[in-house]
Amino acid sequence: MTEITIIWLALSFFVGFIIYLLPKLDRYFALAIALVSAAYSVSLFLMRSPLNIQLLDNFGVTLTIDRLSGFFILTNALVTAAVVVYCWQTGKTSYFYMQTIILHGSVNATFICADFISLYVALEVISIASFLLITYPRTDRAIWVGLRYLFVSNTAMLFYLVGAVLVYQAHHSFSYAGLRGSPPEAVALIFLGLLVKGGIFVSGLWLPLTHSESESPVSAMLSGVVVKAGVFPLVRCALLLEEIDPVVRFFGVCTALLGVGYAVFEKDTKRMLAFHTISQLGFVLAAPVVGGFYALTHGLVKSALFLIAGILHSRNFKQLQQQPISNKLWIALVIASFSISGFPLLSGFGAKVLTSKNLLPWQVIGMNLAALGTAVSFAKFIFLPHHKEMEKRDNREIGKKIQPGFWWAMVILLGGLVGANVFYYQAYTLQNTLKPLATIVLGWLAYLLIFKKSVIKLPRAIEQFDHLIGVMSLMLILLFWIVWTRATISI
Amino acid sequence: MLEAFVFATILCGFFGIIFKKNLVMKIISMDIMSTGIIAYYVLVASRDGLFTPIVSNKDNVAYADPVPQAVILTAIVIGFSIQALMLVGVMKLANNNPTLETSAIEENNTP
Repeated sequence: MTEITIIWLALSFFVGFIIYLLPKLDRYFALAIALVSAAYSVSLFLMRSPLNIQLLDNFGVTLTIDRLSGFFILTNALVTAAVVVYCWQTGKTSYFYMQTIILHGSVNATFICADFISLYVALEVISIASFLLITYPRTDRAIWVGLRYLFVSNTAMLFYLVGAVLVYQAHHSFSYAGLRGSPPEAVALIFLGLLVKGGIFVSGLWLPLTHSESESPVSAMLSGVVVKAGVFPLVRCALLLEEIDPVVRFFGVCTALLGVGYAVFEKDTKRMLAFHTISQLGFVLAAPVVGGFYALTHGLVKSALFLIAGILHSRNFKQLQQQPISNKLWIALVIASFSISGFPLLSGFGAKVLTSKNLLPWQVIGMNLAALGTAVSFAKFIFLPHHKEMEKRDNREIGKKIQPGFWWAMVILLGGLVGANVFYYQAYTLQNTLKPLATIVLGWLAYLLIFKKSVIKLPRAIEQFDHLIGVMSLMLILLFWIVWTRATISI
Repeated sequence: MLEAFVFATILCGFFGIIFKKNLVMKIISMDIMSTGIIAYYVLVASRDGLFTPIVSNKDNVAYADPVPQAVILTAIVIGFSIQALMLVGVMKLANNNPTLETSAIEENNTP
């Protein structure tokens, strides 16, 4: 298994470069890599005990591979496959596929590494690859959005590096387990880096602009898997060390509420989805034990929704409400929206039930509110007008835009949602089913009675570049305070 | 004492990123910040001694710890490549925004 893991990890980078040398085979290679990752993740589910690999000696690279990584790798594989299929006929150059596959490989690397330096390298490769993908259109706006992303994430990673060396100073090793017994400032600095990379709480507010202004396949990748690269190490640390667990859960609840609070008032489809990503990452963190399954569900749903949002004729909900969309598109939209609001028969339901079973008492109210907010914000999609037959003019216009690749991507992602139900089929009891249904009905009522008419526009000042950097220092103080007070209590 | 200087460098860089208006200046501030962090790694490495850990006929001297140095080498390379990438991006932006004032660029490019 050790050899297979290393070969699989190296393969995506190797093939990434090969793609550039053999441009004619680009799409086939990219799809093949995604399928290899999917096969590998299935083999992880069949494995009984977690795999620990130590390369070289004491100071070498350590890898930990278990079922949790399996869920994340499966998400990555399915999303990448869907994105490649979606782009099949759009005439993207082989450069695009090369970056996609390198991004895929580096995201996979974060899901299996177990020491801070390997994680640092993987996260930085992710920043570079996603910068190149965001700036693929080469417009001024794309370059600015990309630069802003690279700037914010690189500054955060510099703080992270200081934290990593403090862990090394305490233990003479960079492994995750070294967080225990490290000074509180080390934990605070490392967490700051990961929170920013993962788009969590206030320091994640770089995410809406970056995800909404990229092209839709790129946003699907970014929202579906890339942010999880920052979340996964947090989940892993929370599972490894019980004193970190409450901190991670606290940030989970705060993030879920913050994201959903913005999403409910948002009037733009892609920005709404991006804010909603922030909120869903909160759900992943709120119950770290079952975070893997939630991440899988969210990755599939969110990339499907981003791909659909890219095809709709407008990004503004007001305009969408005036001009009906085709029935087929609406059904895909509704399946995805139902899954994310937690409707039974789709894996979002199982994930929500599983998460709510693993919450601590103090988290319950916050998470229920966030679930209600989810139902409200996705009612915006569900209640869009739709037509069986479109007018001829529209048919021609949209017929040009929607390619068969889009439907194949939907088959992969939505099929994955239905298929992922098998992971937690025990969820289907009457008691479990009633609560999500009640939440959805309440959410729809709230939407139709209140939020549909609301014209509140939340200010965007905090999303400005300077403020994003400035918030980092505030978050650092907050984190330090949290970790420090906990440390003194436990003594 | 040295530690205080190193942290002062890191903070100078960080405040430079926030308070400088020009995009190129911001990138230089980020470089200063990363210089501070590299210096901190070197400082941590030299806690136990200053000798280079290579094979020689001297024995029992206080060696510097090679691990942080090896690690920061990776970080230097990554930092360097990111700077290069950013400067290329800034060059492209400079065509339409000759002043490179961040607030102006931001205003033009946010919806």
